[in-house]
Amino acid sequence: MQRITAAVSGRPMVAWRIGGPGPSVVCVHGAGVSSREFQPFLKVLGHRHDAWTVDLPGFGASSGPPYPLGLRALADALADWLAAVDLDPVVLLGGSFGCQVAVDAAVRHPDRIAALVLVGPTLDPAARGFVRQLLRWMRNSPHERASMAALNLADYRDAGVRRIVGAFAESLRDRIEDKLPHIHAPALVVRGDHDRLVPQEWAEEVTRLLPAGRLAVVAHVGHMVPYRRPQELAGLVTDFLAHEVPARGAGDETGPEESGAAR
Amino acid sequence: MKASKAVAAFDSSTGMLRALSRFLAGRDIPAIGQVPAALEIPLSALLGTLNRLPRPAQERAYAASGWAEAIPQRRVGDVRSEALAAWVTGHYPRRRYPVIFIGSTNGALVHLAAALDAAWLPQTLLLPVRRRGVAPDDPRGDLAAVEGAGRALLAANPELELHHMHDPNQDRLMIAGMTYFRVKWRRLPDAYRRFIRDHLAPGGLLVTVDCTLRWPTTQIDDRYVFQFGALGDATPEEYPQGGPRVADLLARYRAPVRHWDPPAPDGESPEAEWGLQPALLNDLSAFAEQHRLNAHVLRFDTPQRLSPAVADLYRSWYADRGLPTGRLLAESFLLLEPWWALRTGSVPYWALFGTETARAGLNAYLDTTDPYDEIRILLFNHGTDSIGLASAQDWQRTAARARKIGVLTGVDATAYPRDFASLVRSHRELSKIRARYPMPPPLNTAAAKALTARDEIDWHPA
Repeated sequence: MQRITAAVSGRPMVAWRIGGPGPSVVCVHGAGVSSREFQPFLKVLGHRHDAWTVDLPGFGASSGPPYPLGLRALADALADWLAAVDLDPVVLLGGSFGCQVAVDAAVRHPDRIAALVLVGPTLDPAARGFVRQLLRWMRNSPHERASMAALNLADYRDAGVRRIVGAFAESLRDRIEDKLPHIHAPALVVRGDHDRLVPQEWAEEVTRLLPAGRLAVVAHVGHMVPYRRPQELAGLVTDFLAHEVPARGAGDETGPEESGAAR
Repeated sequence: MKASKAVAAFDSSTGMLRALSRFLAGRDIPAIGQVPAALEIPLSALLGTLNRLPRPAQERAYAASGWAEAIPQRRVGDVRSEALAAWVTGHYPRRRYPVIFIGSTNGALVHLAAALDAAWLPQTLLLPVRRRGVAPDDPRGDLAAVEGAGRALLAANPELELHHMHDPNQDRLMIAGMTYFRVKWRRLPDAYRRFIRDHLAPGGLLVTVDCTLRWPTTQIDDRYVFQFGALGDATPEEYPQGGPRVADLLARYRAPVRHWDPPAPDGESPEAEWGLQPALLNDLSAFAEQHRLNAHVLRFDTPQRLSPAVADLYRSWYADRGLPTGRLLAESFLLLEPWWALRTGSVPYWALFGTETARAGLNAYLDTTDPYDEIRILLFNHGTDSIGLASAQDWQRTAARARKIGVLTGVDATAYPRDFASLVRSHRELSKIRARYPMPPPLNTAAAKALTARDEIDWHPA
């Protein structure tokens, strides 16, 4: 796994990559967390595909401005980063709030996005509100792996309270449902069947709103499908790429600025 | 004896009667109409815990639920056909209907009736009768044990015909402690006559639904036949002759035998659950003539035949209303939702059962029609791994033919076909679909005549 650092708006953005045939799949993490939760998935998806996971500015290993960035700024930073690492149109794979960032990027930078994979897309407008989301998060917790808590704590330490709160507030404010109908790229929506943050009817609504959306449900798993079911998710992504995304040339096996192995 | 006590609650006729009558009253059917809507969530949780029991305990619970709703043999002679008919007509709101269907039980027909704002009066009802000490694989023993009760029933009800049905394949859990008495009216009962006279709109249509499906039977007495096996994936020949699939089923259920030894069939009769006993047609013709009613016959050869026709009818109805036509709801046996089908803009396709044959029927329909964006499949759980039952994964593959969303609705794939909570969960999940449409005015009766253009369906004036 390569650690790749690229400058965006004068600040280093850090990504991890396992090279493979194109198109490149870029994983975008959820609110307050970082690429850590995607590492097991990257290890499965890499080699099969050119697989990346990137820390958004201010999260994980990426530096950010002293103030929390809004959703739009995060999406723009992601698009700028795609330009900085010189990737052909990519498949953006969002997890949770990462779906909101990916969708915003796809709506405003469609030429950079070949397809979307939305895993556990937030935020269900039927439960827009801090308390309702908290209750859903609590109901979802028993379906997650305990080992993820340590990763989350490390992520929260990296991000700091202001950025965490800022990211959750952006998640609540963002109207993803208004943007989905404007995404014409192929899109795969993935939901864990025990996901209490993303109920089935909302996952269906997301798929319905996407002009070229398709829904896949993974059995016996909660919200964090990439962490708990990396093999199954990688299989779904491979199928999706084979059937929905026009083949492109093999991915470039070297990054713009390598700095050794991943943590 | 009260008709509501005598008639099975979990049967095709009663399930469909509840679904249609509630639809005509402007209501959906939470928990297949068996409990108040407010109890849906606790009931779902309760049944969900049943799913966690070991399989033998689940099967005993299922068999016990059947026994609990059956009537003791000594009370069978107290059942009165007129009380049954009055109980049926009592389901419907007291108003005029442009069409009244009468005859065969059929899930697709329920949707046709819902579209036309029509009532349906079943010819057949199931009376479950308690019986002890007979193994499911002993059809002769079953017949001997309840024959007396059958004769008592017929002696008290000269207008009824009794189809004693014994299916150790699909009903093997249910028949552990009870017997299936399916009764068919040979003559129009008074309550049906009154209902038609009082509730058919002037100039309305009286349509006899004639499913001509027949099955080998043994004549026991006048108006009394014994039917071994029933429509599903196993063939009428497989039941008495046996074969690898029968032997495999019996081995899986650790039965002491590897084939069945039923009474020898001596003819064919209308299939006990779905077929029309044609004696009713004569009485209906005379009644229609006497009251100068506009009488028609809707005829098809097997229950599943009507499903693609009604699905296409709904699809073109949605198109005419300017609604999306890309959502399919495949229903199963008595799990059907005419109200939610229309509210969610879903094209209803009724599957008889969860068998491979039924799945092949749905696949064949999907082969011939424009692709659907969304396919939802409900699966009725009958508790038994019967011959030719398609697995939840098989059904999921069919659902995956949707362009966008292909799901099993209310199904716990790991528990199927012993997922008791699905009876409640199917409705709950269906009612959560977010894209909804207003309830339309009824379809014009003339529009339904589109069915007459189909070769496989015969709809003509009587």
